[in-house]
Amino acid sequence: MASPSITGFQHKVVVGIADLSVSNNPNVILTTYALGSCLGIVIYDPVAKVGGLLHAMLPDSTIDPAKAAKQPAMFIDTGVPALFRAAYEMRAEKHRVHIYVVGGAQIMDSSGFFNIGRRNYEAVTGIFTRHALQTYAEQVGGMVNRTVYLNLGTGVVSLKISGKNEEVILCRS
Amino acid sequence: MQELDDYIDRMENLPPSPRILPPLLQLLNQPDVDSDRVVRLITLDASLTVAVLKLCNNAALGSSVKIDDLGHAVTRLGFQQVYQLVAAICGGRTITPKQAGYGLDAGELWRHSVVAAVAAQAIARDTDVNESTAFTAGLLHDIGKIVLSQALEGRYAAVLEEVETRHRSLLEAEKSLLGVQHAEVGARLLSRWDFPANLVAAVCFHLDPGAAVPHERLAACVYLGNVVSNFMGHGYGHYAYAFHGQADALRILGLDAEALPRYMIRTQERYAEVEALTCLR
Repeated sequence: MASPSITGFQHKVVVGIADLSVSNNPNVILTTYALGSCLGIVIYDPVAKVGGLLHAMLPDSTIDPAKAAKQPAMFIDTGVPALFRAAYEMRAEKHRVHIYVVGGAQIMDSSGFFNIGRRNYEAVTGIFTRHALQTYAEQVGGMVNRTVYLNLGTGVVSLKISGKNEEVILCRS
Repeated sequence: MQELDDYIDRMENLPPSPRILPPLLQLLNQPDVDSDRVVRLITLDASLTVAVLKLCNNAALGSSVKIDDLGHAVTRLGFQQVYQLVAAICGGRTITPKQAGYGLDAGELWRHSVVAAVAAQAIARDTDVNESTAFTAGLLHDIGKIVLSQALEGRYAAVLEEVETRHRSLLEAEKSLLGVQHAEVGARLLSRWDFPANLVAAVCFHLDPGAAVPHERLAACVYLGNVVSNFMGHGYGHYAYAFHGQADALRILGLDAEALPRYMIRTQERYAEVEALTCLR
């Protein structure tokens, strides 16, 4: 059970699909429900105690540039830079942030026509490689739907898999 | 067929039949729809009428002008829109309870179904398939899960073994453990409730649309609607993603591989509507 903090009550801030949020409020738990083939990208700077969560739906914004201009968090290629920029504005620093990647579920498909989960993951690893960034921990792929939480007070990233009740810790920052 | 009937007859707590939908669908498909007959049919159910009017006045779904009777709703919004509201209300009554055998909480299967219906409808519109039928089939495609849930309760380990160790789909696992699977059970139930043959076939083959001939186009819309809903995170419970990719579904409708992301974007644009339809009760 969540314990109340000294300065206020812990509360969830829900990040919807194709959206992102950053915060430095230690009482906030950034949460995104039900990732499916989408990817949840979590960043956390343990020194500035700033964190962010992106729930991106698709790998590549070239499919709909107008949509990407209005809603950059829909796509990995526009959402990831937007997430980092928003965190930098709150004094997070690139060399300090821990990065976590969760989601990218797949169905039983050998045709390659339904591999959006994998393409999302490839898109994000491509960006991280270009920027010499490494992920701290990840849980990607498989035939499961995941919900992710980032506790801004502790930096703990945890997740829940659909059909199971317990929340498991992915990593402690 | 007999085996499916026997199975359904053995079940206690069958879902309530959305019995107004088959005659409404039939009316809707007539070239000259008599609006009085549609209104009369709906108003036979007072609580349904109240729920429809409430939705007509929901900002995400209805009109900007206040609507206070059903005749006005039909003139203002059109049959198709009013039909969809009716279908959503009736479907919600049938599908909302939790299905523990699949690890589904109350409302989860319904949310999955509404998103699938919205996506299937958009695909149907673009590919010249009947939109209202695609929407209804999307809402009801997993109704068989309600029947099988009870039988699967407590058999999580056995299904997991089938899916993870033997690499079987959920449908194949159900067939091997129970002798029947949810798509055929759902289709049989809808057939017993007098739903039209094309909708029954689309539900029966919603995971294998190529086998739904001559209704494969409708089945392909439902298959892709189901994929969109799962990909967008509305695949809940234990084994929602354990189904086979059917590239055939795209070929049948003449769609390319990029169609899927495009329909995910369009479905996301209609989330306010999804929200209104999933908060009916």
